[in-house]
Amino acid sequence: MERKAVVEIRDMTKNFGITRALDRVDITVYAGEICGLIGENGSGKSTATSIYAGMQSCDNGQMFFKGERWQPSSMMDALEHGVGMIVQENGTVPGITVAENIFLGESARFRKGPLIRRTEMIRKANEILKSIGADHIEASAVTASLDFQDRKLVEIARVMGKKPEVLVVDETTTALSQKGRDIIYDIMDKMKTDGKTVIFISHDLDEIMEVCDRLTVLRDGKIIRTFEKDEFDEEAVKTSMIGRELKGDYYRSDYDGSYGQEVVAELRQANLGDQLKNLSLQLHKGEILGIGGLSHCGMHTLGKVLFGAVKPESGEALVHGKPVRDEAYAMKEKVGYVAKDRDVESLCLDASIRDNISVAGLDQFAVSRFLILPSKEKAYVKQQVDDLSIKCRSAEQYVSALSGGNKQKVAFGKWTGRGSEILILDCPTRGVDIGVKQAMYQLMYRMKKEGKSILLISEEMAELIGMSDRLIVMKDGEIKKEFRREEKLSESDMIRYMI
Amino acid sequence: MELKSVMNRYGLKQKIFSIAPLFGLIALVVCFLAAATAKDLNIAYSMKNILNQSVVVAVIATGAIFIYTLGSFDISLGASACVSALVGGMVYNATGSVTLMFLTCVGVAVAIALINSVLASVFNLPVFVTTVAMLSVLNAVVLMLININGTGSQIAVPTDAVAGLNTTWFKLLVLVLFFAVCLFVFDFTKIGRLQKFLGGNPVCAKLSGINNKRLAIIAFVMSGIAVGLGSFLSITYAPTLTKNTASSVGMDVIISIVFGGMPVSGGARSRIYAAVVGAFSMTFLNQIMVMFNLNSGIGQMVKAVIFLIVVSLAMSNQRNKEILPR
Repeated sequence: MERKAVVEIRDMTKNFGITRALDRVDITVYAGEICGLIGENGSGKSTATSIYAGMQSCDNGQMFFKGERWQPSSMMDALEHGVGMIVQENGTVPGITVAENIFLGESARFRKGPLIRRTEMIRKANEILKSIGADHIEASAVTASLDFQDRKLVEIARVMGKKPEVLVVDETTTALSQKGRDIIYDIMDKMKTDGKTVIFISHDLDEIMEVCDRLTVLRDGKIIRTFEKDEFDEEAVKTSMIGRELKGDYYRSDYDGSYGQEVVAELRQANLGDQLKNLSLQLHKGEILGIGGLSHCGMHTLGKVLFGAVKPESGEALVHGKPVRDEAYAMKEKVGYVAKDRDVESLCLDASIRDNISVAGLDQFAVSRFLILPSKEKAYVKQQVDDLSIKCRSAEQYVSALSGGNKQKVAFGKWTGRGSEILILDCPTRGVDIGVKQAMYQLMYRMKKEGKSILLISEEMAELIGMSDRLIVMKDGEIKKEFRREEKLSESDMIRYMI
Repeated sequence: MELKSVMNRYGLKQKIFSIAPLFGLIALVVCFLAAATAKDLNIAYSMKNILNQSVVVAVIATGAIFIYTLGSFDISLGASACVSALVGGMVYNATGSVTLMFLTCVGVAVAIALINSVLASVFNLPVFVTTVAMLSVLNAVVLMLININGTGSQIAVPTDAVAGLNTTWFKLLVLVLFFAVCLFVFDFTKIGRLQKFLGGNPVCAKLSGINNKRLAIIAFVMSGIAVGLGSFLSITYAPTLTKNTASSVGMDVIISIVFGGMPVSGGARSRIYAAVVGAFSMTFLNQIMVMFNLNSGIGQMVKAVIFLIVVSLAMSNQRNKEILPR
C-alpha cells in the first residue's frame, strides 16, 4: 500500500552565523507512523523540526504539509493548522493557572461579554488533562506550584487539546519519570493508530528504537541515513550518529564497587513533608551513590537538602560531620550541585558562559577573594571550556544560545572548575547525546578514582546501574532497597521496589 | 564572507547593541553642537549648564545602577536626596563646617538606604514596596525639617560657604571619581559580578551560594553614597533648600538609567555607564528642544517618543537572540 506523505521537508538550509545548522536536509514523514530523529547535540534535529513547527524560519528550502505548501508564521499558527510541538525546555508561564496555560492566547474562547468564564475554562482544561492521563493535575492550580514533570504535562495538554495531525516530541521524555513517559508513549501510540504522524526526538537509543517505525540520523546538519524498523541496530545507529565507532567504555566496565570508609556527607533521620520520611544515608569518599525512583519519590528533594538549599523539618544534613547551614557553607566544604531544572536552577541563561562558570569559582581565582583580574578569570574559564569541550563561539557567548548538551557542560564546569570534592548530580545527562553522555560518565568515573564522591540522582535506571557503587531505590520519601554494584543487577530488580 | 556572518562570529552585533546608547549620546552632542553653532550660541557656557543639570542625576543614577542590577527599583531616591541636603544644610548652619555638612549628607543618605534594605530583608518584601513606604515617610520628614528650622519654607546655606565648590572642575571630579569607584566595584570585584548574576537569575544565584540579602544591602549602601554626593552637589549649586530640592531627581534617575541602555530587569547585561550616558543624553535632548523653541508640552511628547524608541531598540536586541537549538 502506498504511504501518504504528511510532513515533507525539501532541501532545507539554515545558518546561524557561520554555523550551518541544516545543510540541504530532506525529511519525509508519513501518516500513521512514528518517525525518530536522532543525532548528537547540535546535529540539526531540533532546528529542522522547530522550523516546521513555526518557531523559526529557514534560509532556503521548502516545506509541505499533506501535500500543500507549509509556511507557518508562528508556533501558534502551526498548531492552529495541525502541527504541534512539545519542546525540551520548560514552556509554561509560572504565575497563571494550569487552565490558563492550556488555553494560552485563547481566552477569547471563554469570553461572555466583558468577562471570562473561568469555571468553563477550568472544566475544559480538566477534560484535556484527563484525556492525556494527567488527571492528577488540577486545572485551577497555579502552574508555579507544580513540579517540573507536571509542568511538562501541562504543555503536552496544551498541544493535545488542539488535536494536532502532526506531533513533534522534542527530547521531552528525559524530563519525565516512567509515568510521564508512559503518558507520552500512549499519546504517540494513539496518534499512530488514528493515522496521524509523530516525529520523536530523543537521545535515548533504546527508547527511540522501541517506539519508532523509522529512524533518521542527522549529523552536522546533514541527513546521514534512514533506518527502517527491520534495519535497527544499536551499533550501526551509534556509528551513524557520531561518524565513528564509539570506542571505550560507555558506563564504567568494572564491577568492583569499592569505595573509602570515610563518610563525607550524610543525612540523619531527615523529615520533610511527604518527600523525606525519617531518611538516613551516607555518602563515602570515592563513592558513586546512585539514587533512583519515580519522579515524586523525594530523591530530587534529597539532593537539595544535602546541598543546604532546603532545610529538613527535622533531622539534619551533614558534610564532613558538620551540619550544612546553607548553600554557601556546602560550597565551602567543596560540595557542588547540578540541578535537574537546568535552565532555572543551574544556569543564568541571560549571562555569558564566562559568568556562569566563574560565578561558583570566584573564590578560586579572585585576588584576596575580592578582586577579579580579567586575565586570571579568562584562564580559569578557558580551562573548563577546553576540559569539557564546550562548543561555543567564545566564553562571552550567552548560555541561552548553546545547545542542551553544551549548557549541561557549562553547569558541570561551574562545579568541576572549583575542585568540588562532593558532587550532587540531579539527572545530569538529561537531554544530552550519547557522545557527551559518555564523556560525562568518564568524567564521573575519573572523579571517583581521584577520591571524589558523587551522589547520582537519576530517573534513568540504566545509568544508575551502569555507574553506581551502591544504589538506593526510593519510594514515597523512604529508602525501599539498597543494591550493591554487581553484574547481574537489572532494571527489573529496581522497578520492583520503585512502584 | 557575509557581513552578517562576520558580525555573528565575533559577537559584533551583541557588542554594537550594547554600546548603542553611547552612539545615541554622541549623535545628540553632534546635533547640539551643530544647532548651537548655527544659532551662534556660547558653546562653553551651554556645556557648563549641561554639566550643572546632568551631574546630580548622573551621580545618583550611577549609584542606583547597583539596585537596578538586582532587578529592584527605588522610587525614594529624590526624597532621600532632599532630606540629606536639608539635614546637611542644618548641620552647616549649626557648625559652619562644610566637611561636616558633606559627611552628614552622605551619612543620612546611607542611613536611609540601609533602612530601606534592612526593612526589605526583615519583612521579606520586594524592595520597591519598602521604597514606596519610605517615599511617604521622607516627604513627611522634609516638611518637618523645614518647620523645625523655623525659617519659613526654606533652609538656606550661605552662598559664600559653597561658592568655591560650585565649579565645573569640582563637579566633574566628583563624577569621575565616583564613577571610577563604581566601575571598579561593578566590573572588577566579586560584589559586582555576583550582583549581576543575582539579578539575572535569583534561583540559580541562591543555588550558587550567593547571599542575596548581603548583596542587596551593599547595593543600597552604594546607592546611598551616591545620593549623599548628589545632595551635596545640589547644595553647592542651589544653596537655598526647599521642599522642592531634588524633587525631580527620582524620576530623572529612572529615565536616565533606562535611556542609557540599562535592562529594566537588571542582570548580567547591566552596564554601569548607562547612568552617565542616560543622564547626559537626556540633558542634551532637553537643550536641543529648547534651542528649537519647542514649547514644554511638545517637548515632553518628543522626549516620550524618543524614550520609547530607545527602550524598544534596546529590548529588541534582547528579544531577537538567535537561538541555536540542539
